[in-house]
Amino acid sequence: MGADVSDLSLVRRVQRGDKGAFDALVLKYQHKLVKLVMRYVRNPAEAEDIAQEAFIKAYRALPQFRGDSAFYTWLYRIAINTAKNAVVSRDRSPIEYNIDRSNDESYEMQGRMKDSETPEGLVLTEEIRSIVNAAIDALPEDLRTAIVLRELEGLSYEEIAATMDCPVGTVRSRIFRAREAIDRRLREVFEGGLGRAEELG
Amino acid sequence: MNEELDSQLSAMFDDALPPAECELLARRLSRDEQLKARWGRYAVIGAAIRAERGVRLNARVAGRVNARIVSEPALSGSSAPSRAGRGRLAWWQPLAGSAVAAGVAALAILWLRAQAPPAAAPLTAQAAAPSQSRPAAAHPLVAAERMRDAISFVVPPANAAPAPLLMPSTELANYVVAHSMFSSPVTRRNLLSAFMTSEAAGAAIAAPALPVPDAQSHAQ
Repeated sequence: MGADVSDLSLVRRVQRGDKGAFDALVLKYQHKLVKLVMRYVRNPAEAEDIAQEAFIKAYRALPQFRGDSAFYTWLYRIAINTAKNAVVSRDRSPIEYNIDRSNDESYEMQGRMKDSETPEGLVLTEEIRSIVNAAIDALPEDLRTAIVLRELEGLSYEEIAATMDCPVGTVRSRIFRAREAIDRRLREVFEGGLGRAEELG
Repeated sequence: MNEELDSQLSAMFDDALPPAECELLARRLSRDEQLKARWGRYAVIGAAIRAERGVRLNARVAGRVNARIVSEPALSGSSAPSRAGRGRLAWWQPLAGSAVAAGVAALAILWLRAQAPPAAAPLTAQAAAPSQSRPAAAHPLVAAERMRDAISFVVPPANAAPAPLLMPSTELANYVVAHSMFSSPVTRRNLLSAFMTSEAAGAAIAAPALPVPDAQSHAQ
């Protein structure tokens, strides 16, 4: 399959004025982009802000995107530049020196919170991870191998087919079935228990 | 939900769906909120499997970006370069076109002149002159042989028509006319004048050779 075909079909839709297609691109890459930005800033909330800004910049620059490189490569470049600029402007910002430190204990708490995830976000993230891991453990061996090779090792369907000695169509089916099984568990928990399914995207 | 559709969605997420199917599914994905939510969960599953440290899997980036994008103007039919970019390109394109067309035409003229037999007329004169000034041989056969030698310089063979000297100029003129949009009127007129001049010169060169068959017939 041609590289980046699915992204490109979404990009072309955005370029024709379909904002919903851009939403799909953001959903797909938001975690990867936040992870990338976190190489430059330690605070997850700040990383999310920068990732958000990078997505907005990408949206505005999309008319100039011709598809010469993969969309995610282009997006990552924008995110890296946005992160670098944010770090530079934060370092130069005089706001840091104007903070009212009358309540030192409160200031110290804020500082610590900046450097770690908020408790709510942390709990939810850990919960999601444990659900996904439990769902993976419960998968049949062939489905588990296929999804792990795809998501963890980043292998293409053709490479997974060669590794597992099966047709590409079988790989596609196994990965889909694995995702469906994990997704079912996620939906059960979030729609029934926490009721925060809308936050997953 | 349709299992085939979900299977396609999973393959599209991995960039493993044929382009034609991708186009159709991208259209549906951008409008179907349920499908989009599933797409977003596929991304969460991937991030969870990779155990991306520090990344909140309940990231609200998508929602916040979506809220900002709503207030942005839609991008419509703008996959081409921006107007400013086109403006920057526009000024040098006609100049470059003219330069290329003029360069090609100049090279073609030089090549043509190099290909044409420039010494044809003087050669004819030199070759014919001695044969005519030479005293007639006593023996008619010797005289006829000398005449044949002289004629071989003057009369071109039947299959070597003078047309090739003129044809390329015509083709060149056609070329210049066909590409006239890339050249200025003055340049175009100069080139065409040059062709006409070269054709007239060619005709003048060919003209002295015409009486020779008569001379040949007289000699024979």
